[in-house]
Amino acid sequence: MFNFFLAGLNHRTAKLDVRQMAAFNSDQMSAGLDRLSASPGILESMILSTCNRVEILVKADEQTDGVELIETFLSDHSQIPLPQIKPKLYSYIDEPAIRHLFRVASSLDSMVLGEPQILGQVKSCYSAAVESGTVGTYLNSLLQSAFRTAKRVRTETSIGEYPVSVSSAAIELVRKIFGDLGKKSILVVGAGKMGEAALRYLSDMGAHSLYLTNRNPETAREMAEQFAALAVPFADLREWIFRTDIVFTSTGASETLIDYPMVHQIMHDRKNAPLVFIDISVPRNVDPKVGTINNVFCYDIDDLQAVVEANLHERVKAAAAAEKIVEHEVQVFCAKLKSFNVAPVMMQVQGRIEEICKMELHRCLKKIGPQEPKQIQELESMISRIAGKIAHPLLVKLRDSHDSVNSAAYMDLINQIIKSPKDRE
Amino acid sequence: MVLSSLLRATMDWTLIATVVLYALGLLHSLFGFCQKRQIFVKLALGFVASGFLFHTIFLLQLGFGRRHFPITNLPESLCFFAWCISLTFMVANWQYRINVLGAFILPLVSLLTIGSQFIWEENHSIPSGLRSGWVYFHSSVAFLAYAAFFLTFVSGIMYLVQENDLKEKKFRFFYFRLPSLQVCDELQKRSLFVGFVAMSLTIVSGSIWAQQAWGRFWNWDPKETATLITWAIYLVLLNYRLSAKWSGRRAAYISIIGFISILFTFGVNWGLHRYI
Repeated sequence: MFNFFLAGLNHRTAKLDVRQMAAFNSDQMSAGLDRLSASPGILESMILSTCNRVEILVKADEQTDGVELIETFLSDHSQIPLPQIKPKLYSYIDEPAIRHLFRVASSLDSMVLGEPQILGQVKSCYSAAVESGTVGTYLNSLLQSAFRTAKRVRTETSIGEYPVSVSSAAIELVRKIFGDLGKKSILVVGAGKMGEAALRYLSDMGAHSLYLTNRNPETAREMAEQFAALAVPFADLREWIFRTDIVFTSTGASETLIDYPMVHQIMHDRKNAPLVFIDISVPRNVDPKVGTINNVFCYDIDDLQAVVEANLHERVKAAAAAEKIVEHEVQVFCAKLKSFNVAPVMMQVQGRIEEICKMELHRCLKKIGPQEPKQIQELESMISRIAGKIAHPLLVKLRDSHDSVNSAAYMDLINQIIKSPKDRE
Repeated sequence: MVLSSLLRATMDWTLIATVVLYALGLLHSLFGFCQKRQIFVKLALGFVASGFLFHTIFLLQLGFGRRHFPITNLPESLCFFAWCISLTFMVANWQYRINVLGAFILPLVSLLTIGSQFIWEENHSIPSGLRSGWVYFHSSVAFLAYAAFFLTFVSGIMYLVQENDLKEKKFRFFYFRLPSLQVCDELQKRSLFVGFVAMSLTIVSGSIWAQQAWGRFWNWDPKETATLITWAIYLVLLNYRLSAKWSGRRAAYISIIGFISILFTFGVNWGLHRYI
């Protein structure tokens, strides 16, 4: 009915190598769009290409099967024969296509549910299509609705609130204990890759007092300089745990570095001020038993994973509310499209009535013989007034009923009535 | 005069507005708590703030109507108590923006406001011989202390639940909703401080009043004794908080014991305090 066609593949239907072959990088994008819009019957088009999905969205004319066209196009582009790529492709037409796009933009179809990048990717792919001039009224209006839907999902549901990476889960845990991170001092033990990642993440998250210690002091000093942290001697580990509030450990040590008696004594010395251990090393550097001490909180990599799981679970719950928003916006957009469709019918109605009146006028003029130009002018203006008076109530009714249930039936009826005699036979 | 008669004429309406707004605030808080939707929390705050405004007007109307501070019998006191809790709730929210606080505190506010209307009576239950400025001050700071300690109690509960979830690594319902331990702890500390000052003022003003009425500062009447015990519990807690030994869990336990003691104190109304 709307002639929207969407087809493509994503992380669920195709493996990475296939996705890579089908993907459009920024250089291929505009050529791809040009080729697509040059295909017969394609009115508007857009390519959505990210590392997890390649999708083509087109608005075609009445006679064109958009899905078939997109499938061939993707097969050509990826240089994968059609029979091989076809099982990996999904396709949607009209309302399901609109729904799919809205869900993608709202990150309901993402690999990591609710991840925020996808909206930006949809936006930049849309801009590329705008620059190539392949977007018209329909896709423009469709994409604006998709962006609005995504924004509503983000603000009205809590889908994006729960961090789902291990590092952000660690920060979330620490915040559940200390609230603000800014006033707390943090000790990172181990200057390996994980230690570096932890330092970078912590300084990005606004941690101010960062300390780093490592068995090899040179490595610690170099890395500490990078992140405005202070390198402290490994021999004084106990002293620095005493001075800090949060301890990240990620060393390659195979033995326990921080044990129960040590922490017990430290807690006594620091007068029970809360202390958090985040131990991301395998095997563990911190004896899990320290977590039983009052005001000591100790988490290992499995615990962080459990937080991530729990957060994903919350996202799934929030997604249910998001789906409702998407459904509502899909319906709103479809209603809008139907009103778009009314406009050409309105023109047709008016044209047909004028046509009939003019025909009758000419027939009449033939019968009564030649007339003064002034009289002809009078007659012409009269029939155009008649045409207007017949057309006007019809058009008003048509315009007002575009969102009602009967509008399709009503348009059908009008279409039949105003068909010219030739068409009818 | 015109103002006060106008105030009196519209009293029923302000009361209805107060109750309705508090109820709406409670509903939205609970909804925001369960659904974790910020918009409901904001709406709830709006409702409670407007409810508080009407509540204040209602108390003024009551005061003008009866020509005394409306704290002289049980329903009046409960109504005033609700106002105090509402006040502490808003101050706490303004200071810490704890989204879930409403779900914990507003049930009591609504209950007290509505409950006070069911047992409504017009009499002035304080014997005329005892009426003086001190009685009003004494009772109002007492209720302020109760309200602040209620907040101490609530933050203690929140602390315990959150601490338990964090220790047991249960990342579930409450973990997602309750504020951080730090915030619970600070709220507890501050409300404890306010409550303690108010309670001390209650005892001092009560003694002065007793001196005027009965000629003795302290009579060992049951309510006086209960108050003293409560005050002592909170003194222990305060001392514990101020001394360096920091343990949120133990402090939370004491704040719960303290609140039970308050409930007891509130209920003890015989002896010299029998007219309340």
